[in-house]
Amino acid sequence: MTQDDGAIVFDVQRFSVHDGPGIRTIVFFKGCALACAWCQNPEAIRAAPEIYYDDERCLAGCARCIDRCRDGALGDRRPKRVDFARCTACGACVDDCPAGALRIVGRTWSARELLTEVLRDRPFYASSGGGITLSGGEPVLHAEFLTRWLPLVKREGLHVVLETCGAYPFALLEPLLEWVDLVFFDVKAADAERHRTLTGKTNDQITQTLALLLRRGAAVEVRMPVVPGRNDDAENVAQTAKMLGRMGVGRVTLLPYNHLWEAKLPRLGTQQRPLGIRPPPGGHYEELVRAFAGHGIAAST
Amino acid sequence: MSSAPAPRISSPFAHAPETREHGRAREARAAGRPQRLEALRNDLLAAPYTLCTQKAELLTEYFRDHVPADPLVGALAPLHFALTRRGLARSLASGAPQPLWQLRASRALQALYARRLDAAAGEPAVLHHARALAHILERAPLRIYEHELVVGNPSSQRIGAPIHPDLGGILMLPELERLATRAVNPIASTEEQRRRLAEEIFPFWFPRSIQSRVAVLAPDAGLANALLRGDRFVLTQFAGISHVTPDYPAVLERGFEGILEQVETARRTASTREQAAFFDAAAIAARAAIAFGARWSEHCAQAATRQIVPQRAAELRRLAGVFAQVPARPARSFYEAVQSTLLTHVIVHQESFQHGVSFGRIDRYLQPHYERDLAEGRVTREEAIEILGSFLGKAAELLPLFNEMATEYFSGLSSASGITLGGIDEEGRDATNEVSLLVLEAYDHMRLRQPNLHARLHAGSAPGFVRLAHDVVKRGGGMPAFFSDEAVVPAIENLGIATRHARDYAIVGCVEWGVPRRSFPAAGACFLSLPAALVRALHGGATADAAPVSFDSMEALVAALRREIEALVAEAAAGNDAIERAHARWRPTPLLSLLVDGCIASGRDVTEGGARYDSTGMQGVGLADVADSLAAIERLVFDEKRTGVAALIAAADADFANDAALQRRLEERLPRYGCDAGPAEAWAKRVAQIYCDAVREHRNPRAGPYAPGFWTMTTHVGFGRRLGALPSGRRAGRPLSDGVSPSNGADHRGPTASLLAAAHAQGPLTGNGLCLNEKIEPWFVEGEAGTALLADLTRGYFRAGGMQVQYNIVDPAVLLDAKAHPERHRDLVVRISGYSAYFNDLTEEMKDDIITRTLHGGAGPIRPVDGRACG
Repeated sequence: MTQDDGAIVFDVQRFSVHDGPGIRTIVFFKGCALACAWCQNPEAIRAAPEIYYDDERCLAGCARCIDRCRDGALGDRRPKRVDFARCTACGACVDDCPAGALRIVGRTWSARELLTEVLRDRPFYASSGGGITLSGGEPVLHAEFLTRWLPLVKREGLHVVLETCGAYPFALLEPLLEWVDLVFFDVKAADAERHRTLTGKTNDQITQTLALLLRRGAAVEVRMPVVPGRNDDAENVAQTAKMLGRMGVGRVTLLPYNHLWEAKLPRLGTQQRPLGIRPPPGGHYEELVRAFAGHGIAAST
Repeated sequence: MSSAPAPRISSPFAHAPETREHGRAREARAAGRPQRLEALRNDLLAAPYTLCTQKAELLTEYFRDHVPADPLVGALAPLHFALTRRGLARSLASGAPQPLWQLRASRALQALYARRLDAAAGEPAVLHHARALAHILERAPLRIYEHELVVGNPSSQRIGAPIHPDLGGILMLPELERLATRAVNPIASTEEQRRRLAEEIFPFWFPRSIQSRVAVLAPDAGLANALLRGDRFVLTQFAGISHVTPDYPAVLERGFEGILEQVETARRTASTREQAAFFDAAAIAARAAIAFGARWSEHCAQAATRQIVPQRAAELRRLAGVFAQVPARPARSFYEAVQSTLLTHVIVHQESFQHGVSFGRIDRYLQPHYERDLAEGRVTREEAIEILGSFLGKAAELLPLFNEMATEYFSGLSSASGITLGGIDEEGRDATNEVSLLVLEAYDHMRLRQPNLHARLHAGSAPGFVRLAHDVVKRGGGMPAFFSDEAVVPAIENLGIATRHARDYAIVGCVEWGVPRRSFPAAGACFLSLPAALVRALHGGATADAAPVSFDSMEALVAALRREIEALVAEAAAGNDAIERAHARWRPTPLLSLLVDGCIASGRDVTEGGARYDSTGMQGVGLADVADSLAAIERLVFDEKRTGVAALIAAADADFANDAALQRRLEERLPRYGCDAGPAEAWAKRVAQIYCDAVREHRNPRAGPYAPGFWTMTTHVGFGRRLGALPSGRRAGRPLSDGVSPSNGADHRGPTASLLAAAHAQGPLTGNGLCLNEKIEPWFVEGEAGTALLADLTRGYFRAGGMQVQYNIVDPAVLLDAKAHPERHRDLVVRISGYSAYFNDLTEEMKDDIITRTLHGGAGPIRPVDGRACG
């Protein structure tokens, strides 16, 4: 997962304004400890680079890629041109694709290169009180890289937000904290079994990480991605509120659901399947806020 | 829309929220509009666009009756006119060149007319034109419209398009009959107007107009053909120079009586016959302005006696009192100051073409009047906003008149009257004041296409002003545009202007930074197609019909490009020099000369170089297209060795008909200007430098520099239509990029990247302004947090060295609806290049260009799926 001198990053998104204060650049690290059923970035779950194919971009009559493929993973068929099971993500096809329909998601960035990239928007960090946000995937799985990279970032005086799921031993996160200004910590469900059903893992380690993180006195904002019909019932709200209350957390930020990740699925070799969840009726989030308030937790959207 | 954090989602697949609140927000704002301004706004939006021949008629009448003519010209010119008329109609319709022998013969005849008419006229042209202006001001019908607090009709129509037969008006001749029915910008006229123009006015001016006389002075007889082709450069000053910020504050301080005294004093020291004539003319113009104010006073008094509504009658009596004082004498109140400014603006437009005559730093010169009146209880904040709103409405009453060809290049009917707010003063201190805010609030109520509103920002700008300016622009309409004092002041100093005066800059027209009151910047003179120069370079100095040539290095290509750019600049400058000389010799503007510092001191008309500072603006169009093309050639030919230069150019010359894959690769996979810090940005910087160096080599006939700029109006559409495909992948006929903006769709890394890319290409050599269009989705900047975010974007860009930015914050869905149902969106204002226009007034091509721009590369999460290269 972590290279000697670099990390696999699948996107560096500039001008992000919803992931921490001000105008920010988000670094999306590849590889995650969980596999949430609603994951917004299905291409982030696997640690290794992978092929991505957008049939809508594919140029009619062009089949250059097929001969290039050494794995026999590409065929003269659409829209399912790629046999994801056979693809080894060697990238040989990408260079010859004139339309950018084929690409490799994720590549290794050196510390220096990534630093240069996140420094580009510095005038805007300065004007807006922004900075960078580490996201993914799970950035903490790249702890080894981050212990080398974050000091460079902090030397430049950038504000750092970490978005994390907490599904790893706290020891992995602990050394990073001196360079992180704010942690966005996601909780999905309070019940261990439900958590396993939704994300592939129980939440034992997550709650432990959160507890230790809070004990360290780190600046933490707890956030809950709302997945209608999966984790927004009264039972989970009550359990989550209780769990947070026990840890002394009084606030939670609710992240409204959106389903656009489903459009990505056919373009990737992923096991993730569409959930078909429609946007909840108006007032739903306000109701959740009231429900949390009933349990003594100040929720906001 | 809540401002809550969206779920984190990697950009390639990101999205825009589904709900939109555009219409509702618009209605809510309208509710807070003062009744009077609401009524004025509705009247202005409902008024038809109408041809105004008032000046044309009166000017012709004066010259016919009072300026001695020549019998030979009287015999020859009508025949010549009849022949030319047919040729003009043919050429304008087809774009086909006129035979060179015809142009030469015509030129010889025009030279003859000029000689004989000059001799017959007896007195210098400046005197005749001063008397003609007086004739016009004595007779122009005065109109007071319902609800308005500030009066003074710049034309005979509520929304009028004056025609100028003395300048370039004759170009309208072939289209007069279809003016009212043309698809784009129809303009109503009466049969009598058209008849008189065609049969009396144009024939009279045919041997006298600037349009005709330029040929006499132009070194190249084929200039007319080059302009007809419209593929390499456009020269605008046939239509008039204008583009100036007159010294309205001088009228507020001294009145025309005070100015007249200055002229009379200076007259005593006149050392030449020319100077004496100029002073005499200037005195005639000043007296005419004084008399015009008196006419208005009497007119208002009479209107008051006829008015049955007591409140309105009182308003009219008050106006009669105002005009008893101004513009003849100094303004004593805020109301008098605003009225004096507007009436002077009206007077200037009885002499000059309605394009780019700007108000300057109105917040600075109105402030003392406002503060004093407020302190003494003579005006309230609300009254001041009503007065200013009424004033802004007046600026929307003028339309430029363009023929169909010119409409392609200057779509949107902008008369480009700039108002500049905020910024530092001569000493470097923040000059933002309460009037800066009042003007913004008044504009927020009116939201008409004119005037052009500009906000100067600097590190020490008052935060309330920065916030309000961004709050106003984020609700659409594209105004105000933003300018960085830190970056602009050095660019003006670079033209040889003193620091104190550079710090006092104001925007002339669209985006041209110029020194108000002291300069004659002729800022809108020339537009050059940089990609046309590139195409010639790629074809060995010939047109795209020739075989493409090969280059063995990028440096060899750049050297060829430099030669072509230099040749293009030289050709355009030579043509423009002829136009400016023609103005100086035959169409001086003595009234305007009273309002530009230096003319009275030097005893020279402003067209002759009387101003303290002189320059001429020359715009490079299509910078991003050239940068993208060079980056593509470098990558494909020299780095990746996928193809040869000649093969790539041949594919482009064939409009990629046989190579769709190559075209897609060029668009999708190659670095393009707008992503920030890649090779295309480096090329943009280099090409900009080459262009600026080439332009600065030239000096105009007024002994001032040619000043390079990068803004386009809609010349990027006109040039684009006449240009084949480019190595950038841009298809034949498609619009070029506008200003210093990236090509459509190239700015897919969001606004910070495109802003920094543009900042990188700019520099202090850009003496005549540039224009960066930034598209932002409205939902992204909602609420107070959204306003702050937008301001952060501007300030970040300025920190990085950016000079100017304007925002088009409009929902693409609204634009699509407006294209389908224009009747529902008559007040939809969008930003073009450096000015705003009603969406409905744009050519269909330009509407599509704006829609494409907005769909692609809008800010934030709506970035298209991103498989494209940036570096």
